[in-house]
Amino acid sequence: MRNLVYFFLLLTASIQSQTTMSPSEAQALKTLVKAQALTTKTIYSNFTQYKHLDFLSNDIVTKGKLAFKTPNLVKWEYTDPYKYTVIFKNETIFINDEGKKNQVDMGSNKLFKELNGLIINSIKGDMFDDEAFDITYFKLDKTKQVHFIPKDKKSSKYISAFEITFNEKGDVLEVKMIEPSGDFTKIVFSNKEINKPLADAIFTN
Amino acid sequence: MRFLLISICLLMLSCGSYPKKQNFKLDQSASKNIENPYFSDASKDYVYKATIDVYDKHFGGLLIIKKIGDNNHRVVFTTEMGNKLFDFTFLKDDFKVNFILDEFNKKILINILKKDFKVLITENLNVLKSFSDTEKAIFETNIYNKRHYYFFNESQLTQVIRTKNGKENVRFLYSKINKHLANQIEIKHRNINLEIKLKSITQ
Repeated sequence: MRNLVYFFLLLTASIQSQTTMSPSEAQALKTLVKAQALTTKTIYSNFTQYKHLDFLSNDIVTKGKLAFKTPNLVKWEYTDPYKYTVIFKNETIFINDEGKKNQVDMGSNKLFKELNGLIINSIKGDMFDDEAFDITYFKLDKTKQVHFIPKDKKSSKYISAFEITFNEKGDVLEVKMIEPSGDFTKIVFSNKEINKPLADAIFTN
Repeated sequence: MRFLLISICLLMLSCGSYPKKQNFKLDQSASKNIENPYFSDASKDYVYKATIDVYDKHFGGLLIIKKIGDNNHRVVFTTEMGNKLFDFTFLKDDFKVNFILDEFNKKILINILKKDFKVLITENLNVLKSFSDTEKAIFETNIYNKRHYYFFNESQLTQVIRTKNGKENVRFLYSKINKHLANQIEIKHRNINLEIKLKSITQ
């Protein structure tokens, strides 16, 4: 019986820690993030990626650095436990796989193009496109979280939801991409520097 | 007539078994069962950085293998950024595709991967014949009705060779072995231009 009481206490506690925002609160967050995204010219940040597969004992953890420069230069540099760099630049993806260089032309690949757009928007947090997503807003203890559920059947085959966590200033702390199976990829940013000058040379392999 | 006889003789010679061509010596005393220990620990998450070179294309990603139970493994391939490309389940003789990206959903490719991964994860094998070579013990086994030769060097599994018509078809090379973990695995196909290289980043 006592266990049952604890269980319900825990349940209500966990419900309370994530409550839905009122429409005006949601609008305020949206305005804040959009304003932040507009003034963001560059982002330089450490990241830790957690790949969660239900059948594994532990998440697969990889670490690296992210560089972003408007309008559409993105570099993901994995440094641990392996060296791997992927640069999104104009219509091309440049890959450096432990010294082995490769490039993929996105020009003809709509899926890649969409993915790139989503990546850029999710880094900035600005994915508030009601036509593309069903969007719900949550308040957590100190942070805010927005869930974006793709409406397009083709992309929802791969990603059932994006969950983006923001701090009070409207900065992205965490991006979680959930697959239809429930497996997910979570990227947590740390030591994020905004609008630090970044040379174009950073975005070459 | 004589020509026919000669050509039949030649044909028989060229169709000779793989061990015969390699001059392996038959060894009757050897064990009847062998074990491949490299994906046998259910408490371990096996994670490998993988590169696949097929004709002129180069793919990279992570190959994740987990033993779920007896004769039961999950094999998942993701990109470095975490996107799942395929997800297979092996349960005894059954094989199931849990997920595959449309671009990879080709029967011929799935079949090749299924056969190769089956060799990686098969733990216990019945020995049909055993042989010896200088310093090596060699065991003939069957996987999916194909002859596979397992090479042990000082009781450590170092390579597996799948044959077709008495010739090497696919070679599995295990190296940088530490206890029961092969830190490096290479799979080389002879009949198609396909090479899979795996480097352990098991945490």
